[in-house]
Amino acid sequence: MVKLEELKEAVKNILDQGKVKYVIAYKTNPNSLRTVPFFIKDSNDVDQITWNPLCVYNLARFLVDEKRRKAREKNPDTRPVGVVVKGCDSRAVNVLLQENYIKRQDVYIIGVSCEKTGVIDEKKLTKKLNGRRAQKVEFGPDSQFIVTTRNGQEKISAAEILADRCLECQANFPVVYDILLGEETKRKPEKPFQSVEKIESLSQKEKWAFWQKELGKCIRCYACRSACPMCYCDECVVDTINFAVTAETTAEEKAQKIKWVEKSPLLSENFIYHLVRALHLAGRCVDCGECERACPFDIPLRFLNKKLEKEAKELFGYKVGFDPDQPPLLSSFKDEDPEDFIW
Amino acid sequence: MEKILRKKDFPEWLKKLNGYSLYAPVKDGDLWNYELVSNPENINLNHSNTILSPKKIIFPQREVFLEFSTNDKGRLQVKENLPEEKKTVILGVRPCDAKAVTLTDKVFDGDIIDSYYNKRRKSAFLVGLACNEPPSENCFCLSVGGSPYSKEGLDILMTDLGNKYYIESLTEKGNELLNSAPNLFLEATAKDKKDSEKIHLESEKKLKRHIKDTAKIPAILKNMFDSPFWDEESMSCIRCGICTYLCPTCHCFDINDEVISTSPLKGKRVRTWDTCQFPDFTMHSSGHNPRPDKASRLRQRVLHKFLYFVERYNDYMCVGCGRCVSKCPVGIDIVEILNKVRDYES
Amino acid sequence: MADNFEPKIVAFLCKWCSSAGSDLAGVSRMEYPPNAVPITVMCSGSVSPLYILSALNKGADGVLVSGCHPGDCHYIKGNLYARRRLYLVKKILEFVGLEPQRFQMSWISAAEGTKYTQVIKDYVNQVKAIGPQTKLRRNL
Repeated sequence: MVKLEELKEAVKNILDQGKVKYVIAYKTNPNSLRTVPFFIKDSNDVDQITWNPLCVYNLARFLVDEKRRKAREKNPDTRPVGVVVKGCDSRAVNVLLQENYIKRQDVYIIGVSCEKTGVIDEKKLTKKLNGRRAQKVEFGPDSQFIVTTRNGQEKISAAEILADRCLECQANFPVVYDILLGEETKRKPEKPFQSVEKIESLSQKEKWAFWQKELGKCIRCYACRSACPMCYCDECVVDTINFAVTAETTAEEKAQKIKWVEKSPLLSENFIYHLVRALHLAGRCVDCGECERACPFDIPLRFLNKKLEKEAKELFGYKVGFDPDQPPLLSSFKDEDPEDFIW
Repeated sequence: MEKILRKKDFPEWLKKLNGYSLYAPVKDGDLWNYELVSNPENINLNHSNTILSPKKIIFPQREVFLEFSTNDKGRLQVKENLPEEKKTVILGVRPCDAKAVTLTDKVFDGDIIDSYYNKRRKSAFLVGLACNEPPSENCFCLSVGGSPYSKEGLDILMTDLGNKYYIESLTEKGNELLNSAPNLFLEATAKDKKDSEKIHLESEKKLKRHIKDTAKIPAILKNMFDSPFWDEESMSCIRCGICTYLCPTCHCFDINDEVISTSPLKGKRVRTWDTCQFPDFTMHSSGHNPRPDKASRLRQRVLHKFLYFVERYNDYMCVGCGRCVSKCPVGIDIVEILNKVRDYES
Repeated sequence: MADNFEPKIVAFLCKWCSSAGSDLAGVSRMEYPPNAVPITVMCSGSVSPLYILSALNKGADGVLVSGCHPGDCHYIKGNLYARRRLYLVKKILEFVGLEPQRFQMSWISAAEGTKYTQVIKDYVNQVKAIGPQTKLRRNL
């Protein structure tokens, strides 16, 4: 069991020692009772830190913000930033390290293990509680969660309210860390890609009908892109025409400023945007689920990225986010790569 | 005009409105959304609130302004694409969303008339549903000059009395809708009126979120432009744009030319929604960006709603629907921010 | 399917092998269907997934990417990267319900004029059989 006191102690120590600029952790908002990201600069605030099954957010996303902030400052503080990560989040940090977006010495990783369960899908919990508000959610024994509402405490089995991606978890404890809280209990699911296989088993017409319905809802708010730690491009391919051409813009950069996708949320444009995003995340997506969680229309975006993760594993033997020294998926090849689809 | 409509007569009334386009909240998975409905039998008004307000009908996300092409002599021809004035009934509009329409009216249908918005607005009949209880735990309409039974912007206000609706027709348009099926509408008694008033007052007490002394906030905000407060509050913002896209009052837009073919030239000039939360929203063609960071963009959103709009139009550009609070992926809470602003000492 | 449906194919041909192969077919006066619009790229490895999606978006009924045989790439490894990247493109297009015949890849060397004509003939017939592409086609 991850002991909250140990987590608070660990954060307090590194802040007191001046080892880090600030720590990114979780806290519970006292008004809305929502668990939210918490940026601690002052070690006196560590009491507000929480660790509970509602800590769904991938805090690795804020490492991208930190880098952008540093780039704007004239004399940046070069100390690392502390971040609390779960297993899936640590794989995201590994991908950022693999791509040299951040350096290992820029981040101090406090790993927490999800142990035998995982984190909760807030939408599933709201449905299960049927109007009652959860005041507190805790990890319980025997793969259960203990939920406190104004009616008292109740135990809900993990299978009912776990986030979908936790059911296919490939790393329930952090794979890279400076300190680790909780135990490295292995829990490998039997079928790591079963959600994708369900869609693969549909006929071609059914697949199209499914995706046409889902992506038809998209309003192109780009929340999926903003929530993803790996979508850190300063100029996204869908925004190329919005960026200014100045005297310093090189010819190569100018040639890249092509309008690939129209801004209108037409079905064809929505498809192109989501397919391109999935392909740009091939070999980089760790299935943290933030894109799907952020989407205001509940579009099941995980499946697109998960499908490519499955293909990367099955076709090329590539596992995402476990080794920061392995080359990126699309910048490497093997002689045995399959070419059965090529004439 | 005050009338009663029994719930079992509700589908009949809607059937009589077959000359109008009918929009109603339709459930899609766990969400409600306004859809064009062809079969009134399926409409029931037991929705909480829709994910997108009636803004999506009156100020749609994609609006084709004009079509341009060159004829075979190479001369440019432009054809304006004004929306046809088809009478459109929007059912189940919550009072906050209706008030939001009056706020966007000030921008698009006030000193300057946007003909596209104007045509859709003139053809829209807003049939509201009072909130017997707050549709969301993040509703705060009372703090921004609204209420669960406000009549602003509505043509009809319906109150759910259990097995019947208390109907208040507020405009000529409202009367027109009632006159489409006059025999279905019964006389409202004094007791009915009292019952609906009781429900209205009860629902006010059920609101959980409040901003204290909202009226003091614009003056405080005026002095907070350079404050580090915005850096602190925007730390967890991921600038996704959900708050502005779902907001019933937000109305920033972008205009683009969508070219179908270059030779012969054929294309459309299109208006789409845009958001001040995207980093390139204020990108100048010189490369300078006056709002390069999240802090300035969060500040812009709050100041636009609670200072600039107040100075210009004398009303908050927020109706307290709570969508931005509920749907923000990182839990940024405008009620909390405003309460902190009110207590802020520079 | 109308009998007179003529598919529009966009063919990305690498300059050093496949495009040269198509030139050989032309110089040798070999006949093949005119449906493919050739676009010469420096290497099949330079073909971004965006090109393929954009071609489908603008109305192509089929997209063909052709490069040098593995081991013969003018830039040594470009086609080996393409082999990985474009397999993922094919997989995701199938996953969203697009007909698998919409995207095809081939290895054609500069000496294989005959193979080029055969690939084009076969691919045009294949796409003819499944009809026009409407799913990703932009409809403004």
